[in-house]
Amino acid sequence: MTSTIPKLPQDMPVTSPRYVGKEVKRIEDPGLVTGRTEFIDNLKLPGMAHAAILRTPHPHARIIRVDASAAEQLPGVVAVLTGEDIKRWCNVGATSPEGWGSTPMAVEKVRFVGEPVAAVAAISRYVAEDALELIEVEYELLEAVTNPEEAQAPNAPKLFEHNASNVILDRNYTWGDVDRVFAEADHVYTEKFRWNRVGANPMETSGCVCQWDVVNNSLTCYGSYQTPGFIALGRAASLNLPSNRVKVVAHPHGGSFGGKGGPRGTDIAALLSRKADGKPVKYIEDRVEYLLAGAGQSWDRYYQASLAVKADGTLVGLKVNLVDDQGAGAEGYGTISAAKPLAAFTGCYTIEAAQYDLKLVATNRAPTYPYRGYGPPPHNFVLESMVDIAARDLGMDAAQIRRMNYIAPDQFPYTIPSGNEYDSGRYEVVLDKVIAMANYREMRELQVKARTEGRLLGIGIVNTVEPGVFDWNAYSTVGVPGVGVPEGVKVSIDILGQITVTVGFALEGQGQYTLAAQLVADYFGVEMESVRVTYASTDIAPPHFGHGGSRLGVAISGAIMGACNKIEEKFRLVSAALMQCEPEQIELMDGHLRVKGMPGAEMHIAQVAGTMLGRSDLLPPGMEPCPEASFVWTAPDRNEPDEQGRCKSYLTAANACHIAMVEVDRDTGVTDVLKYFIVDDCGTRLNPATVEGQIQGGVAQGVGAVLYEEYVYAADGQPLVSLFSDYLLPGIHEVPMTEKGALETPSPVTPLGAKGCGEGAIHTTPATIMCAINDAIHPLGIQITETPASPNRLWQLLQEVR
Amino acid sequence: MKPAPFDYYAPETLEQAVALLEKLENEDVDAKIIAGGQSLMPMLNLRMARPDALVDLGKIKTLDYIRQENGTIVIGAMTSKRAAEDSTLLRDRQPLLHAATGHIGHRQIRNQGTVGGSFAHADPAAEYGAVAQALGMEMVVVGPDGERIIPADEFYLSFLTTDIDATEVLTEVRAPIMPDNTGWAFQEVCRRKGDLAMAGTAVTLRLEAGSCAEVVIAVFGVNATAARLPEAEQVVNGQAPGEAIFAQAGEAAAAALDEPIADVHATADYRRSLIATLVKRCLAEAVERCA
Ligand SMILES: Cc1cc2nc3c(=O)[nH]c(=O)nc-3n(C[C@H](O)[C@H](O)[C@H](O)COP(=O)(O)OP(=O)(O)OC[C@H]3O[C@@H](n4cnc5c(N)ncnc54)[C@H](O)[C@@H]3O)c2cc1C
Repeated sequence: MTSTIPKLPQDMPVTSPRYVGKEVKRIEDPGLVTGRTEFIDNLKLPGMAHAAILRTPHPHARIIRVDASAAEQLPGVVAVLTGEDIKRWCNVGATSPEGWGSTPMAVEKVRFVGEPVAAVAAISRYVAEDALELIEVEYELLEAVTNPEEAQAPNAPKLFEHNASNVILDRNYTWGDVDRVFAEADHVYTEKFRWNRVGANPMETSGCVCQWDVVNNSLTCYGSYQTPGFIALGRAASLNLPSNRVKVVAHPHGGSFGGKGGPRGTDIAALLSRKADGKPVKYIEDRVEYLLAGAGQSWDRYYQASLAVKADGTLVGLKVNLVDDQGAGAEGYGTISAAKPLAAFTGCYTIEAAQYDLKLVATNRAPTYPYRGYGPPPHNFVLESMVDIAARDLGMDAAQIRRMNYIAPDQFPYTIPSGNEYDSGRYEVVLDKVIAMANYREMRELQVKARTEGRLLGIGIVNTVEPGVFDWNAYSTVGVPGVGVPEGVKVSIDILGQITVTVGFALEGQGQYTLAAQLVADYFGVEMESVRVTYASTDIAPPHFGHGGSRLGVAISGAIMGACNKIEEKFRLVSAALMQCEPEQIELMDGHLRVKGMPGAEMHIAQVAGTMLGRSDLLPPGMEPCPEASFVWTAPDRNEPDEQGRCKSYLTAANACHIAMVEVDRDTGVTDVLKYFIVDDCGTRLNPATVEGQIQGGVAQGVGAVLYEEYVYAADGQPLVSLFSDYLLPGIHEVPMTEKGALETPSPVTPLGAKGCGEGAIHTTPATIMCAINDAIHPLGIQITETPASPNRLWQLLQEVR
Repeated sequence: MKPAPFDYYAPETLEQAVALLEKLENEDVDAKIIAGGQSLMPMLNLRMARPDALVDLGKIKTLDYIRQENGTIVIGAMTSKRAAEDSTLLRDRQPLLHAATGHIGHRQIRNQGTVGGSFAHADPAAEYGAVAQALGMEMVVVGPDGERIIPADEFYLSFLTTDIDATEVLTEVRAPIMPDNTGWAFQEVCRRKGDLAMAGTAVTLRLEAGSCAEVVIAVFGVNATAARLPEAEQVVNGQAPGEAIFAQAGEAAAAALDEPIADVHATADYRRSLIATLVKRCLAEAVERCA
C-alpha cells in the first residue's frame, strides 16, 4: 500500500477544509488556563523522596575528598550520591564528540561552577538542602581558562587532560572558488563581532521523578522532556541499561526552547532512586541551578567576517571565522549550533562562494546547549551587519542592496554553496510587502528630520532564511553521532466512530496537539472536538523525536496524513465490499466513502469502522479488523554530507523580512524600539494564530538576546549571573507588539505545503535591531558589533564621540 | 532554594510584636521581622538570610492606613504599596511619593510588598530612599522604650542598614504635603520597567521671580544609601532656569557622588553619567510643573 500525502490543504478529502488553515482555538488551552494540566512538579508518587544537588563553587578544581557521612546521618535523609557511585554505575554521556563528554556528576575534577559533586534524597527538599550543608568536599584548586584565547594559550591548563588541548574541533569548510571571488571583487569588507552568551529560559525549569525498579533492573523517568525517545536512549547509554529498560513519560512542560535537554538531573535522580532501593525520587531544578548550570547557556561567539562585493552591490563571497566558546566540554549540543548555519549560510542571497572557519574551544564556563534557532541568530547578525556595512560604504539603501541579491523565485530549488537546498520562496514579494506595511519611505523621512534635531533614530531592515525540518545528516559533520528524527503517530477509530491520535511528544506550548486534531478532523470530515489527541510514553509510542529544529508541525502533518491515508485505503476496501463495487470506484469525501458517480451510495466512516470491528463476517477475505493505522514520517531525499559538510539537511526554507525603527538616547545609551514590522513566508499556514504566536515569541527572545540577556563571567571563571534580576528576560514592556503580515509560498516538498516556522523570528530580530541601532549611530562615526547592545555598552561607545 | 529552618511567630498587636522582639533578643535569638516578604523571602530562599525566628506583622491590623494629619501625610508601615499607588490623597497631596511608588517593581510586588518594608529594607536602589531625603520625611519606630521619630537623614545608615533597632518596629512614615507652588520630578533609568534602577533622581523646587529657589536634589541607586546633593542644589538656587545651568547642576551632582556601585548592568562611570543626565532632565521637568 503506498500512501499519497496531500500536497496542499485543498487536496485533502474534504470539500473545503473547515479547520486546516484557520485560526482555530487551541485544544491545549482549557487545561492550561484552568490550571489542570499536570506539570512535573504536580506529580506525587507514593513514598517519593526529594533530591537536592550540591554544586561546586569552583570553576576548575580536582576533587580530593568527599565526606558525606554527616549528611547520611541527618534524620530524613534517604540516600546520598557521590562521585564514587557515578564511577561504579555511570558512563560518560554519549551525545558528545569523542573524548569531550562528562558524567552527570563530577568524579575526579570539576570544570565549571555549578557542576554537581554530590546529591541527597530526603523526605523533603528542605531536609535535602539542609543535608547538602553537611557534605564536606576538599578541592585542589586549578587555574581556570574562561575564554577561548586563554584556553588556546600554549601552556593553558587543560579541561580534559586526556586530550591534546582545549580545542574540540578546528576545521575549515570551503565552498566554491573563494580565492578567485575575493580577488575579483571590487570591495572586501571585514569586521569583527562578539555575540555574548545567552540561552533558553523557559518559565518552568527542568524537573523529573525517577524510579528505579530494582526487581526488573529498569528505570522509569517522568519529566519535562522535550525529546522523550531521545532522552530514554541517552539514559540507557549513561546508566548502563538495555534501551528497552528505560521508559520515559514526558509531562506537559512550561516551555523548553532547547533548554530541557540537560539530562544531569535525571541521571542523578535515577541513581538516587537506585540507591534508595527503588523509592521514587523527585528533582526539580531551581532557577539558580538552571541559570548557573542548567541547559540554558548557548552561543558564546567570536566572529570575524569578510564580504566580497562588486562595485554595483552584487554580493559574491562570504568568509566567516567563528571561535565558539563551548564551555566545559561538549556534552550537550553546543557543537551542533555551530554547524547549523551551514543550512542557510548565505541567507537569501546568490552569493556564489563561501568559507567557514570553525573552531570550538572548551573553557571553564558552563557547557553550552541548544537554544531555539540553534546557531543562525548570531550568524545572521554577522551576515546582515556585513551587508549593511557594504551598503553604507557604497551609498546604497539597505533594502536595495538586499533586493538586488535575492535568489529569484524561478531559481528554486536552489542549492546554496554550503550544500543545503532551498525548496521555494518569493523574497522580493516579502520585501515589498513589509516595505509597504511599514511605510518605509516615510520612516526614512522621519529619520532625516530626527537627525536634524540631533536625535539618533535608526531603521533596520533584515531578511533571513529559516531552515526548517532538520534531519539526521545535518550534524554528523561536527562529530555528533547522527540520530534519526522519525515522527510517528497512530490514528485509531473506535466502534462508535470516535477518533484518537496517539503521539510521542508532550505539550510544550507550540500547539501541535491542536494541529493534529485539525488535520484529522478535516481528513475524516468530523468535528475537531471529537478528535482526541493523547500522549504515549516511550515504551509504547511509535518511533518519534518530538519538538526541535522547526520540524514538528511539518513532521506531524506528514505522519497524520500518512496514517489517515492508510485508514482510508482500508476503508475503501471494506466499503467496496459492503457496497458491492470495486475499490477504485470509492472515494473518501467529507467523512463518507462514496461510490463515484452514484449519488447517495455512501457510508460514513463511523459505519465502516463499526462494521469492521463488529461484523468481521462482512469483511473482505484476509482483511484485518483494525480501523487504525500508524505512520512514521521523515523528510524525503536526505543525503550524506560530503567532505565539505555539504548535504540536503533541512527540508524547507522559510523566509522573513523584518523592519524595525529604534531610537537611541544619546545621553543614557538606552535603546527604545519604536516600531516593528514583519512579513513572514513559511508556506501554508496550517494554523495562522499558532504561526503568529511563534513569531511573536521569537521576537521576544530576539529582543532579549540583542538588548538584555547576557551570561556574564568574571575573569576568574565565576559566573556573575545566577538570578533573574541579573539575567534579564524582556517583559511585556520591552517587547514590541509587532505588526505582522504573511505571504504563503507553499513548499513543494512537504505535506500540505507547510514549512518549519518555529525559529524564524529569533533568527531575524537580533540582526534587525542591531542593524537599526547602527543605522541610528553611524552618522556619529561609531558602530556596535557586540551583543547585547545594553545601555552601558552603547553609552561607552557614545562617550568616544562626545 | 529552600530556607534553612526557622521559628515563626505571628503576633496580633503591635505591643505583642515589640514584647516578642524584646524577649527573643534577650534569649539571644536572631529574629527578623517579615512584612510583605518581597525582599526577605528571596534572601531566605537563597539562604543569604538565615534568622532563627521570623516575626510576621501580617496579623497586625492597625498599621494599614494613609491619612492626612495637619500638614502631613502619614502612612502605616503595613500599608501595601498598591494601596499607596491607588491613593488619591497621595496622588493629589504628595505627588512625588506617589510617582515614586509607581516605579517600585511590578503590580504584583506592590500588591504584596509594604510601604514600611521598602523603607526598612533600605536597598540602595529603593525609590523611597531618595523620596525620603528629598522631602525630609520622618520614620516612626516603636520599641520597648516607646516611640522614636527618626528623620530621613539619620534613618539610612548604609547598604541595607537603617537605624531601626532589633527590638523596634517601624510603624509609620510621614511626609509633608507638597506645597502648591512646588515643582517636582522623579526619573530613573532601569534595564527593564520595574527593575531596581541603575540610577534615579528626585527633585523639588520653586520659582521665585523667575529664578529657581529651594531646590532639592536627591539621588538613589548609585551609592550605599540615597542622598541629597547640596553641591548640585547650590548651582541652581537663585538662577534662572535653563538647559546650561541644569547641565551644570548635573555635572556637579555626578562629581559629588561617592564612588558609585558597579554591577553587571552598569559600571561606576556609567552610573555617574546617568546621574548627570537625570538631574538635568528632572530639573527641567520640575520647572515645567511649576508653570
Ligand atoms: C521583582 C522585584 C522587583 C522589585 N523592584 C523594586 C524596585 O524597583 N524598587 C524598590 O524599592 N524595591 C523593589 N523591590 C523590593 C520590594 O519593594 C519589597 O517589597 C520591599 O523592598 C520590602 O517590602 P516588604 O513588605 O516586602 O518587606 P519584607 O521583604 O518582608 O522585609 C524587608 C526587610 O524589611 C524589614 N521590615 C519590613 N517591615 C518592617 C517593619 N515594619 N519594621 C521593621 N522592619 C521591617 C524586614 O525585616 C526585612 O529585613 C522589588 C522586589 C521584587 C521581588
